[in-house]
Amino acid sequence: MIRVGVDVGGTFTDLVLEQVEAGGKQRVFTHKVSSTIADQSIAVVQGVVELCAIAGVQPGQIDALFHGTTVATNIVIERNGAEVGMITTRGFRDILHMGRHKRPHNFSLQFDVPWQSAPLIKRRNRIVVDERILPPTGRVETALALDQVEQAAELFAERGLDAVMIGFLYSFLNPDHEMKAAEVVRRVLPNAFVCASSEVVNTIREYERFSTAAMNAYIGPKVARYLDNLKRRLAEAGVNAYVRIMQSNGGVTTVEQASRNPVGLLLSGPAGGVIGGRWTGEACDQREIITIDIGGTSADISVIRGGELTIKNPRDTEVAHMPVLVPMIDIDAIGAGGGSIAYVDSGGAFRVGPKSAGAEPGPACYGRGGTQPTVTDAQVVLGRLDAEHFLGGGLHIDPALSEQAIRVHLAEPLGLSVKDAALGVLRIINNNMALAIASNSVARGIDPRNYSLMAFGGAGPLHGVALGQMIAAKNVISPLHPGITAAMGLLVTEPRYEFTQSSLTILQSGSDADFATVNAVFDRLQAEAAAQLAADGIAPEGQRFERIAECRYVGQGFELRVAVPDGPFTAATAQEMARRFFAVHRTEYGHAFEDQAVQMVTLRVIGSSRSDTLRLPVLDKGGRRNPSEAALYARPTTFDDGETIQTPRFDRLKLRAQDTVAGPAVIVQQNSTTIVPPGFVATVMKLGDLVIARASQEG
Amino acid sequence: MSKTIDPITLQVIGGALHAIAEQMGNVLYRMSYSSIIRESQDLGAGLFDLDYNTLCESDSTPMHIGSIPGYMRGIEKSIPKSDWHEGDVVIHNHPYYGASHSPDIGIVMPIFYHGELVGFSANTAHHLDIGAATPGLIIDVPDVFAEGMLLNGLKLFEAGKRNDTLWRYISGNTRVPGLVMRDLEAQIASAELGVKRYCELMDTYGRDTVEQAAKQLMDYSETMLRREIAKIPDGDYTAEGFMDDDGRTRGVRLPIKVTVRVRGDDVEVDLTGSSPQVPTAFNVPFEGSTKVACYFAFRALLLDTYTHQEYIPQNEGSFRPVKVTAPLGSIFNPIAPAACEARFNQIQRVVDLIIKALAPVLPDKCTAGNAACLSFASYSGLRDNGDYWVLIEVNEAAMGARPASDGPDTIEELMRNTRNNPLEDLGMHLPMICDRYEIRDDVFPGAGEYRGGMGVVKSQRFLTPGFMTHESDRNEDTPWGIFGGHEGATAIVRIENATSGQPPRDVDAKFSGMRAELGDVVTYLSPCGGGYGHPLNRDPAKVLDDLLDGYITPDHARDVYGVVFQPVKNGYGWGLDHAATEALRARMRAA
Repeated sequence: MIRVGVDVGGTFTDLVLEQVEAGGKQRVFTHKVSSTIADQSIAVVQGVVELCAIAGVQPGQIDALFHGTTVATNIVIERNGAEVGMITTRGFRDILHMGRHKRPHNFSLQFDVPWQSAPLIKRRNRIVVDERILPPTGRVETALALDQVEQAAELFAERGLDAVMIGFLYSFLNPDHEMKAAEVVRRVLPNAFVCASSEVVNTIREYERFSTAAMNAYIGPKVARYLDNLKRRLAEAGVNAYVRIMQSNGGVTTVEQASRNPVGLLLSGPAGGVIGGRWTGEACDQREIITIDIGGTSADISVIRGGELTIKNPRDTEVAHMPVLVPMIDIDAIGAGGGSIAYVDSGGAFRVGPKSAGAEPGPACYGRGGTQPTVTDAQVVLGRLDAEHFLGGGLHIDPALSEQAIRVHLAEPLGLSVKDAALGVLRIINNNMALAIASNSVARGIDPRNYSLMAFGGAGPLHGVALGQMIAAKNVISPLHPGITAAMGLLVTEPRYEFTQSSLTILQSGSDADFATVNAVFDRLQAEAAAQLAADGIAPEGQRFERIAECRYVGQGFELRVAVPDGPFTAATAQEMARRFFAVHRTEYGHAFEDQAVQMVTLRVIGSSRSDTLRLPVLDKGGRRNPSEAALYARPTTFDDGETIQTPRFDRLKLRAQDTVAGPAVIVQQNSTTIVPPGFVATVMKLGDLVIARASQEG
Repeated sequence: MSKTIDPITLQVIGGALHAIAEQMGNVLYRMSYSSIIRESQDLGAGLFDLDYNTLCESDSTPMHIGSIPGYMRGIEKSIPKSDWHEGDVVIHNHPYYGASHSPDIGIVMPIFYHGELVGFSANTAHHLDIGAATPGLIIDVPDVFAEGMLLNGLKLFEAGKRNDTLWRYISGNTRVPGLVMRDLEAQIASAELGVKRYCELMDTYGRDTVEQAAKQLMDYSETMLRREIAKIPDGDYTAEGFMDDDGRTRGVRLPIKVTVRVRGDDVEVDLTGSSPQVPTAFNVPFEGSTKVACYFAFRALLLDTYTHQEYIPQNEGSFRPVKVTAPLGSIFNPIAPAACEARFNQIQRVVDLIIKALAPVLPDKCTAGNAACLSFASYSGLRDNGDYWVLIEVNEAAMGARPASDGPDTIEELMRNTRNNPLEDLGMHLPMICDRYEIRDDVFPGAGEYRGGMGVVKSQRFLTPGFMTHESDRNEDTPWGIFGGHEGATAIVRIENATSGQPPRDVDAKFSGMRAELGDVVTYLSPCGGGYGHPLNRDPAKVLDDLLDGYITPDHARDVYGVVFQPVKNGYGWGLDHAATEALRARMRAA
């Protein structure tokens, strides 16, 4: 059995290959190639072929390939998706243009409105037709004018559009008109990507539903083309493995399903990292984890509670300022990373980020024309990043350039020493990240003192301990391969499909008829999920289902997710649901009103299946303290308290299980450096992950 | 005495204060019930020092930002600082004691740190109904007492114990107690969070450091604003406009006059010359609204968060350089007991006229005439069981064109920034149905090198008899064009009946407590913004876009923009005729 995980990032494509031989003997290989931006599948296939060579296997031997891609996200960010046509209810042509009518800046006159200046669907291609469905029952007031739909579709054909979205008001109550219109459009435009809003996300609130479906249509043709290219290139390279694509919800899906519903792939890239983080945590016996994936320009933060991913409240899911109501892992991205630029603003304030030097020109020390000091330059000046280990020594860095950038742009204007300015850069960037972590944890009733902070991405373990201290985390984990945690995460995912239907029911006063409706909806959603899993070749006994109801107090505007107990939905279930809702509300907001009526708004069924998991080789037991076999050399290194200490370097590949490394120490490996400040001890776990804690907590 | 905090700690504490205010705002709008708070986010929240200086404030609705210190100064008249106890919660909404207007109820909690009063955690939120003369909103009422409950610095909790009598009083004097009382709970939860977080911040950094940092952050914001004011040439800059009427005396326009005096890095806004106070609720509370509008104008003009990279902390510092003058007894500084609930249209116009006054010296920062109004609609009725239903809805408008971009269409402009109600959500639980919600198509955009934003058209149909009050303006004073740009369009309010087939009739912008019949459809067409720069300088490709997107016609493009199209067979119908356009533009420029 050979499985490969491929995670495509902005700069690098990371790969992991796992081979389990008949006797259970298992080997793991990793690889990294430069991403090919124009068509990510080129680097994917190149990397797979090279990795096979490294592992000494043939591409044809690969059984399964798991893929995390930023293709969908990039289409949205770069706004180079399809020309989409929309057919909508007469009188409501501009729902997508108006949005929620709130402007993105309070104190601005010159602001941009992204959904107006760069719309997913231009006004000229939004065509209204006669039809009207009325609330609260979904009764038809005006029948759908099929001839108008046909005319619109013909016009779209003449305009050469390759995607069409149908969005009618109240279609979540009665999808009949949308389905009929979609049928007509599919007939007139057999090669176009066509979706109806209620097919993509069957929930209340027109703007959010239309926006989600518009996004689906906008990225649809290109994502499908990309996946076709990928399949073709893989086949050409002799890879005939089954391919699974990572979704925003942390599960994988088939290529066919991903092509039909590409809007589920918008967080395909970062999701792998969180999954990898959860899996690393399990290997370290930690189930309460805050993950932070620190890259060049941004840091992605997520929280794992009791081993479970946090799924975002569907009211909060947006991409590029537009709502996208699909299940997503709650990942908060902030503009803070190794490339974040530090500067003094015109009012004399010391700033770091969100502007980034990116990969080009990159930090000043790269010597590629970047002159502004970055977070990486601060690390270099403080002696925390050794030139010979930076990207495995593959990239030349010049500490003198870092020093000059910090002196000229920060130290001199602020009247600080270069060292203090560099320490300041780190303190500010770490504070920005710590505040973001706090708003994702403390602000939601999560006490970081019970959590491990897992810092990964190439720059993660440089910041890990400092961040852990600021948020008062229990300890800090530096995964075995911090730079490829996301690719590893791909090998520990499971298929995961979600189906939803809005169906408003008040829990405390629901009638038997109401509950019968709830049961019918759940049964139907579960049948859909089961059919999808079966289509993936998963036998009924391997299928698992989770039921979620998104609930609110009657009158509130924001729903919270509540897990539904197994078994038929009865009055007793409803009472239990209300109790669960109070608990969730209390966690989220600090209050709950137990005398208030609670309403279920949207019902959701998640179908999934356990799949194989990655098994890394267990390290030999070392049990040594600061093992001399792993020691490299020592250099002056400045820590956060300002003290500069001659600090030993350790080779991470030579550490064994239960070894400990006491700070001050720097642990180096290809692509990543872990800082262990004085007073902290890093303990090597069985698979090679490091758990770093205060010396007093050791053992 | 206090020593300067290093710039790094300053950034750290500044970030923490900002995060606290954001969390307070989030808790408030997510926990709340009424759509005006939870969907529209008509609220503000923040922390304040012992002198009521704003330390930080949530980035919610601009109208609320900067209004809370006025509440606290008003409260001090009934509760001196020595009378605060840990666990107190004070409720306040008196417009003659600093409140923004009576429906914006303030909740204030003292922050005690190791037994000592160190500041306040407070928020304001617009409540759906406070028992005024008509449900939801009011215009044509005789005095401030007709606005409903006046709560003047009352302790809703005293040292942690709830005053149940007051609680029941409030509950018994609103038409929608289920919403109002729960919204108050959300406000209290938000204020409690602020108290807790501020104490934690002091635990981490020490009280002295936090207070010194707060002072320096205010100085920083002040410095940033003064630096920009100093770049404006000294002088007096004036602009004038008018409001349609006061909501009772029809046909009598109300002049608005704004004089901006720039002296070095100080600026004064003088509203002398504006209308005397009026006998309806169409007056503006001075402390809580007039001043706040002027503060907003300078922040938005000079420290525009879109064009400025840096985040400038939202605190007292940005208010200090701005002095506001309005004669007592004028519409912007009424004398009690004049009613003053319906004040939003007037303050929008103050901001717009400040922009107009300064446009000649700030051509790169200004806008053409904005809609600068507010359509605030209150729909209500009785359910079969005798309970009221009330919906307050804010209809968006549009902005004037800008130096480098078109005016945004259908958007919340200037002092407001609420979110609309999802039509589908309203339809599920109110006896109303929306028949139309689109961009206006009865007028052309204000032409210019950059065009004005297009307003909205929204039609709401009553499915049962009910009541409606509409607070609005600008049916008569057209948003101006600037630097050669053309003017925009005024608002229209129209009523017809879908059931009886009664023909549409255009009505005044403001009306109070109108009885609506089953099938009545009320349509609001908002003003549209003016253009910026000469239309002949507009990129022809943008003119083509406007044609294809249905904003203009080929004739309008030719007559106003000098752009000529030719038919093309690509499904869109029209393409640019570059040669004919150049020739026509040359002729028009010569003429």
